[in-house]
Amino acid sequence: MVDGNSVNTTREQLLETIKSIETQTLVNIILAFFVAYIFARIITALLSKLSEKMSRSGRIKVKMVIPAVKFGIYIVAFYYFLTELLNIFGPELFLLTGLIGAAVGFGLKDLFADFVGGVIITFEKPYQVGDKISIGNYYGEVTDIGLRATKLVTPDDNTVTAPNSLIFNEAIASGNYGASEMMIVIDLYIASESDVKAAMKILRETVVTSKYVYISRTSPVILLHKSLPFYTRLRAKAYVNDLRDEFEFESDVHTRAWTEFGKNGIRAPQLHILNIPQIGEESELRTTRRKNDRSNGRHGRDSDFNAGSQKNS
Amino acid sequence: MEDNSNKTDEMVFGEIIGMRDEIGEIQEAIADFEVGKKLNVAIIAGLFGGKTTLIKEIEKLNLSRATKITFSEIVRNKKEISLSGDTKRVVLLDNCHFLYVRKPGGFDIFYEFLDMISSQNRIFITTWNIYSWKYLKEVFELEKYFPVQIVVPAFSEEHLKQLIFNRYEEGEIIFNNGGESDEEPVAYITEYPIELSAIGKKISIPILKINIHYLKKYLLSEKKEKKEGKEKTAEHRVFERIHLESKGNPGVALRIWKLALDYPHIKLEDVGNFSYDIELEQEEAFVLNLILSYQGLKKSDIVDIIGSMLKTDEVLFQLLNQELVFEDENDSFRVRPEALHSVITYLEKLRLVW
Repeated sequence: MVDGNSVNTTREQLLETIKSIETQTLVNIILAFFVAYIFARIITALLSKLSEKMSRSGRIKVKMVIPAVKFGIYIVAFYYFLTELLNIFGPELFLLTGLIGAAVGFGLKDLFADFVGGVIITFEKPYQVGDKISIGNYYGEVTDIGLRATKLVTPDDNTVTAPNSLIFNEAIASGNYGASEMMIVIDLYIASESDVKAAMKILRETVVTSKYVYISRTSPVILLHKSLPFYTRLRAKAYVNDLRDEFEFESDVHTRAWTEFGKNGIRAPQLHILNIPQIGEESELRTTRRKNDRSNGRHGRDSDFNAGSQKNS
Repeated sequence: MEDNSNKTDEMVFGEIIGMRDEIGEIQEAIADFEVGKKLNVAIIAGLFGGKTTLIKEIEKLNLSRATKITFSEIVRNKKEISLSGDTKRVVLLDNCHFLYVRKPGGFDIFYEFLDMISSQNRIFITTWNIYSWKYLKEVFELEKYFPVQIVVPAFSEEHLKQLIFNRYEEGEIIFNNGGESDEEPVAYITEYPIELSAIGKKISIPILKINIHYLKKYLLSEKKEKKEGKEKTAEHRVFERIHLESKGNPGVALRIWKLALDYPHIKLEDVGNFSYDIELEQEEAFVLNLILSYQGLKKSDIVDIIGSMLKTDEVLFQLLNQELVFEDENDSFRVRPEALHSVITYLEKLRLVW
């Protein structure tokens, strides 16, 4: 058992030591973290600017370095902090670590988990700055990996700050994983009676002629066709040259493919196939239903059923 | 006195310089065809690289058994590639990159062409722009149709000198104002051009070089020959600079020569160091890529590919404004020879060419 008097003495000693800390030392520690923060910001800004001037693959490579550099700077600052701490407390440091342990255990546990998550992200690289990722409910380009959180810019230009600890609980999907090209899946739906061969040829030519496409032996264009009961799905899997052009690529393929489909008599699935009335037919249908209601003297719900069953029969 | 280089253009380009190995390889493919082995040939070269000169030479060597067709703009009619019954067994097709249009529905002629070269009992010797070739290779595995592929090599300094001197009489051109007042240095600094596709720029790095050419002359020659030696080394340095700047591309070298020449004098400091700071938007870069890949494109072709007259006007204005392209006498837009390497480096950065 620990003697009560000795605990009191140690506590007093610790308080004495804390009181004996010079203002200069405190200022130095704060200054060290401040300088580290400013330095990390400057380096990040410079590297980001440099990366934007580089080629698409170069951009991602330079951005990959940023989190490691930032962590390096903070580790130096933390090392300085620890040295100062050892100088001040010496053997009583273990008491302070207990204090820190308690703080982490109660109030700062989330912050600590975020920090550990940041270290893992930096070194294990489940994703990197410049990647397009899905994390939690969010999807976007990673613009920064900090000590506590990762910043994403969504397609709607919202900046999402996701805590780094999310990597422990959520699955992360990286669309490009360090590469500047990224696979895009483009689906087009055409009427079942359309000429599928012609449509596939048009879709392929549309994809390979797009200004956004990236084609190589390792990144080929794949076309898939699936016949469904009421329509045919054409799927193109192709790589966009720069992941930032993801939506422009998709839109470009849609626009040009449908223009060409139109010229070749390839039509979109008709709405009546899906049992949805077309514009114009809808008002006619409503009039018929009202007539039926009046003649049958039933409620709307029943007449709906009736109309459906009549149509089916 | 006039620069009579234009008068001798035909003669110069009629005479093949270098490329003996490549000619040998093509002749071998033709000989193999005669004994029943069909090996279609693709001659691949960059812009101004000399592929047309090479195919002309092949035509000369096989006059009695070859038919040559040259495409000078995008082919839109299947009849243009259909061969009549009297077509000879060796078919030379120049500028085959004009057989497709980079748009949906723009490959019908190209499919027809592939069918023709794979089904007919003829050997097809074709020329391609290297960027169109690489694109079609990735998209259609074009290399499978051409078992013999010949990439036109870059010219050596000696070959470039020969190409340029063939246009003039001996002693017609005076280097460094006749070498009267210029002292030749023992060592000199030369600008070495480097293309950094990572940043999309062409830069020059100064490199110290020992004037071995001059030292040899100075140490080994008689006094009378020393004066000649001065001019010889000036000539050597001019061609060294032209070779570095053009990277052995004959078309670019000729253009640099013309820009530097103050007939009949040429000075080393007048041999330009061409580096362009290119900043383009996506659409502009794409059109520049098209112009580079087709070698020359008419405005109507560009409108057809990108689908907007307004946008085409805007893009062409930008490209002309940045002095990257020019409009030739056939109303085709072409990349400026002196801007070629900067353009390629920039498009490599964007991965529009590779």
